[in-house]
Amino acid sequence: MNVVLAVKQYVSKMIEDSGPGMKVLLMDKETTSVVSMVYMQSEILQKEVYLFERIDSGNRENMKHLKAICFLRPTKENVEYLIKELRRPKYSVYFLYFSNVISKSDVKSLAEADEQEVVAEVQEFYGDYIAVNPHVFSLNLIGCSQGRNWDPVQLSRTTQGLTALLLSLKKCPMIRYQLSSEMAKRLAEGVKQVITKEYELFDFRRTEVPPLLLILDRSDDAITPLLNQWTYQAMVHELLGINNNRIDLSRVPGISKDLKEVVLSAENDEFYANNMYMNFGEIGTNIKNLMEDFQRKKPKEQQKLESISDMKAFVENYPQFKKMSGTVSKHVTVVGELSRLVSERHLMEVSEVEQELACQNDHSNALQNVKRLLQIQRVSELDATRLVMLYALHYERHSSNALQSLLTDLRNRGVSEKYRRLVSSVVDFGGKRVRGSDLFSPKDAVAITKQFFKGLKGVENVYTQHQPFLLDTLDQLIKGKLKDNLYPYVGPSTLRDRPQDIIVFMVGGATYEEAQTVYNLNRTTPGVRIVLGGTTIHNTKSFLEEVQAAGFHGRPTETYQGPTRSSVRR
Amino acid sequence: MATQYSAPFDEQGEVREGFLCPLCLKDLQSFYQLQCHYEEEHSSEDRDVKGQLKNLVQIAKKAKNKLLKKDGGERAEGGAQDRYEAFSYGGVDPCMWDPQEIGAVRSHLSDFKRHRAARIDHYVVEVNKLIIRLEKLTSFDRTNTESAKIRAIERSVVPWVSDQDVPFCPDCGNKFTIRNRRHHCRLCGSIMCKRCTELITIPFANKLTSASKHSVSTHGSPNLSPNTSAQTSRRGSISSLSSVSSVLEEKDDDKIRCCQHCKDTLLKREMQMDEKEHTPEIIKLYQRLRACMDRVDEKAPEYIRMAQSINAGETTYNLDHANNLRVEVQKLYELIDALSKKILILGLNEEPKPHPKNLQLQKMIRYSATLFVQEKLLGLMSLPTKEQYEELKEKRRRENEEKLLRERQAALEAQRRRDEKKKDSLPRSSDTLNGQPQRTGRIRKVEGWLPTSGVPRNRETSDPLLQQIENITSYIQQAQVAGRVDEVRMLEENLRQLQDEYDQQQVETAIRMSKELAEEEAMQKEQLEVLRKREESREQKKTLSQHSRAHSLDFRDHQQVAGWQDKHTAALDLQFPRQDIIPQSPPDTRPVLSLHISPVLPSKTVPLNPFEDEEDESEPAPPDQIQQNGNKEYNPFAEDDEEHTEHRGGSAHEVKQVSSNPFETSPEREYTPQNPFEEDEETCTTGNPFEEPDDLGANEAIEEDLLLQQIDNIKAYIFDAKHSGRMDEVELLTENLKELKKTLAKQKGQTK
Repeated sequence: MNVVLAVKQYVSKMIEDSGPGMKVLLMDKETTSVVSMVYMQSEILQKEVYLFERIDSGNRENMKHLKAICFLRPTKENVEYLIKELRRPKYSVYFLYFSNVISKSDVKSLAEADEQEVVAEVQEFYGDYIAVNPHVFSLNLIGCSQGRNWDPVQLSRTTQGLTALLLSLKKCPMIRYQLSSEMAKRLAEGVKQVITKEYELFDFRRTEVPPLLLILDRSDDAITPLLNQWTYQAMVHELLGINNNRIDLSRVPGISKDLKEVVLSAENDEFYANNMYMNFGEIGTNIKNLMEDFQRKKPKEQQKLESISDMKAFVENYPQFKKMSGTVSKHVTVVGELSRLVSERHLMEVSEVEQELACQNDHSNALQNVKRLLQIQRVSELDATRLVMLYALHYERHSSNALQSLLTDLRNRGVSEKYRRLVSSVVDFGGKRVRGSDLFSPKDAVAITKQFFKGLKGVENVYTQHQPFLLDTLDQLIKGKLKDNLYPYVGPSTLRDRPQDIIVFMVGGATYEEAQTVYNLNRTTPGVRIVLGGTTIHNTKSFLEEVQAAGFHGRPTETYQGPTRSSVRR
Repeated sequence: MATQYSAPFDEQGEVREGFLCPLCLKDLQSFYQLQCHYEEEHSSEDRDVKGQLKNLVQIAKKAKNKLLKKDGGERAEGGAQDRYEAFSYGGVDPCMWDPQEIGAVRSHLSDFKRHRAARIDHYVVEVNKLIIRLEKLTSFDRTNTESAKIRAIERSVVPWVSDQDVPFCPDCGNKFTIRNRRHHCRLCGSIMCKRCTELITIPFANKLTSASKHSVSTHGSPNLSPNTSAQTSRRGSISSLSSVSSVLEEKDDDKIRCCQHCKDTLLKREMQMDEKEHTPEIIKLYQRLRACMDRVDEKAPEYIRMAQSINAGETTYNLDHANNLRVEVQKLYELIDALSKKILILGLNEEPKPHPKNLQLQKMIRYSATLFVQEKLLGLMSLPTKEQYEELKEKRRRENEEKLLRERQAALEAQRRRDEKKKDSLPRSSDTLNGQPQRTGRIRKVEGWLPTSGVPRNRETSDPLLQQIENITSYIQQAQVAGRVDEVRMLEENLRQLQDEYDQQQVETAIRMSKELAEEEAMQKEQLEVLRKREESREQKKTLSQHSRAHSLDFRDHQQVAGWQDKHTAALDLQFPRQDIIPQSPPDTRPVLSLHISPVLPSKTVPLNPFEDEEDESEPAPPDQIQQNGNKEYNPFAEDDEEHTEHRGGSAHEVKQVSSNPFETSPEREYTPQNPFEEDEETCTTGNPFEEPDDLGANEAIEEDLLLQQIDNIKAYIFDAKHSGRMDEVELLTENLKELKKTLAKQKGQTK
């Protein structure tokens, strides 16, 4: 169930199978991301892979002394590029690996192009998704919907990605989906179709309890992607943005050239692996320890390199020293930037109010706090807007809804029209009307009691009160209590036992907060393994982009008359 | 380091190595420059970083306080976990999930091959047809055959298309006229105009056909050796007559006319042939490079095993053999370095410049070779020199002798005392002697061994196990000399087993004896003190098992302490492996022991080994202290001073400067694991007040040892620096090396 390992094993196998000798890895844009997530350059170099080329790059030289490992998505363009390549081969031998199911006719046309008999292998290796963490994957798709329906291209890509994931993990699951979402349903059916069509491929050893694929829709929980985050990975993504494990720091004031883009990969960075789910407070302490450790090792001014033994020790420690100083400066820079942003943007206060909006039901207090923060100029445009969005989502139908006045406040603050429009767009996207379940108030007696006890115990943590709605869903799923009428099965058969291997897929994108929730669930629930995936991994910015791309343009704020039924577009 | 930041598949993944400043990543050429750079650039910045960090920590703390304010001291994580209390704990971190097999795969290769085969057959047949015709066309002596005859032969190879059928040139579309005459392709018989014809030279044809000819027979090409071929010799007489006329009539006779399509096909074929035969330079170099790497992978672990053993003073391996291996491995590294460098600059001076992709490939190969060397070379430990090794062995022998003497003395003394005080105990012990043949043997061995302690083979042994062990040891030596690594390994394994067995036997005997003797009356004070010292040293060091065994054995018979010790030093020589079974000391002796701590302690606090003291007495030394040892000024490095200091018996005051350096632990650290033997000796020293004079000599040995090691290391650094191209550093290091060598020589002179 480890998705990183699954992809890594595929790549290792490709390299192994090609035997000794110099190799070039020929990829397309997407497979480049796939491979780069699981292999570091230095690591892959040790396996005699010296060049990385794009199949669509025209600037490739004839290098008959290289073996070519082609890892490509089986798209029409790629097949065409490959046919051209085989007609005039640039490398001595070709090992072809496709990341998904390739059609028989494509295989035939490739075979006919291979007049010089340079192809030594043709296989399907289902590494057709981005493995983010061992339990998290993404497809890096933004804007997968038009209104509430799939963009057909994205639907087929998502189906391919999801079936590839199932194949790479060797799972032939039962499928459940969120009834309130048409997109979830379509995707579930698409996946089922592929499984039926390729039944030979999906013929894995049966487990006692069949695995489960649960398909959910982002619109059911629009709150989670709007919140500021306080755990390392989620926070970095929210404030700086993570793109294929890479973080762009070029906008950080006074950044050195080498730190303009850093890689945060749990596979290669122990500090990051240990701290990615820690909250900001703990990371501060840990990075201090890391720094002190480093300071102890690095030569100080008064500690001169005078004797040979000094020098020797210096050189001896040098490789580690080099590595460590890399880690140190990287994390110090990242955390430093985070803390700068936190203080600059008053994120502590903003987040407190956000959490209150998300988790408590005190309208007047919430309104007051939002109004107060909107007056503070250092609160950023994005943060101001997200507060209003959260307010709009939570108190959408509240009798004394004051959204209009908040929108006016936003305008007076000089928040751009685009953002103000987005407030209503987000309500359209994830408002009460579209939600299949209630995000804010517990409905049954058990839940109310639970909340009551929670209240008694006091809130554990002001900034991490919020738990994604996903936790609730998974909780019920694991206990076998998830209602069949809200989350029906595709096909007639249903799961009798409690599920053990669960794959959750979030149409419209998951978040790192949810990734952490799933991580904790995995840690605390014996016998259950959960993998979370999404069309992408969102932060607030990308989420708003997604909403906008879906065509929820919102109305001009001037004419907005509060939440009326007719205003919700379908 | 830089690669960590660059995108994993960055096109221009530039490789940065050398002395990069960790803060600003500026490349500095040497330690010194880096150090200066630090002092100049970052002394203030350092504070900035600290300040920033402080600030950061404050914010973090604030956050933490806030985050945890309602939660008491509980960790925030705990809070999150509370929510899952509905389930029991015991889930698994996703990274720790069970290992999984590789995901599903599906091969299309057979399909692919089927489709390809169909296509290829067609293509291959076409090409082969052309080749066969070409062969026929060139199988006679063209220059010396009449053109009419040639024409006839040509027409017999392939039927020509009749002129009437083709009014226009099929390739260019021009009408054929008197001036624009028709020409036939000799390979496929088609017609084209003169402009569209291609010509195949005889050498080209020969080249193409030679491959197939070679497979059939080895007869040479007709042009080069006309008389060897049966066909040519047959026609020889006629052709010579008409040669002049044929040249006049058609001067293209030595070339074969064909159409563009046939020529294309043949050219393609030629290209393929060329590629098959041609191996570019880079391939040759690369293959050698890989071969070297493979050999390093094979040899390095073997060497490391040897070096560890030798540095521990064991005699399992031969020093020369290890040295050879070291040189070999080092040579391999140098070869790898040189080869990869050669690959890097391949074609750089040629015109036209190689394709950037080729350059990139070369760069990447060089980079990965650098990584390889960096990774493996630094793990290559140094060896003692011959003298050093001899000294190591000598020292150990001496030490053993000392111990023997000392302990014999002690034993005699004890015996004397016992004789005086407890005469009744003697018959009892002699009883035991008689009752236990093995023990008698051992005692005999101990006595007989004394004069020949350094030469175990001459020692007479009654124990068959010991004999066996000896035999095997000599076999190992022989095998080593013969360089049969596998056998050596196997024999070692045997030896180890035997030794284990032997140890086991000994321990059993020891236990039995200790049981018998436990009833003996209370021990005398002197004996207790000896015992106490042993105990002390054991606890202090927790080191080689032999010692702990020696100690534990002491419990059996205090009269024979010395004798037992001797026995075990003998065992030491045989490289007894670690043994775990240690007889427990009788609990009632402990309180008595503790009473004697105070008299023992002083001997411990005056360690003769300066290293022991260094750490404790570390205090910042004023820089001028370095100048105090003025007599060693020729060497700018404190190392020599340090050694000098050690000569004088380790006055704490002078040692201080060592501790003021940033790597204060390093000399010791490096010295400890590689020379467990010194530690060994130290243990005895601390425990034994008799040994002072000997120990001074041992100290010198240690220093020399260190010195030599350093020399070795510096050699490695020089290599490393050379290979990273930091020339000024190389110079610097070479200078240091010279000085070190000088010191070594001087020291040796002193020792002698």
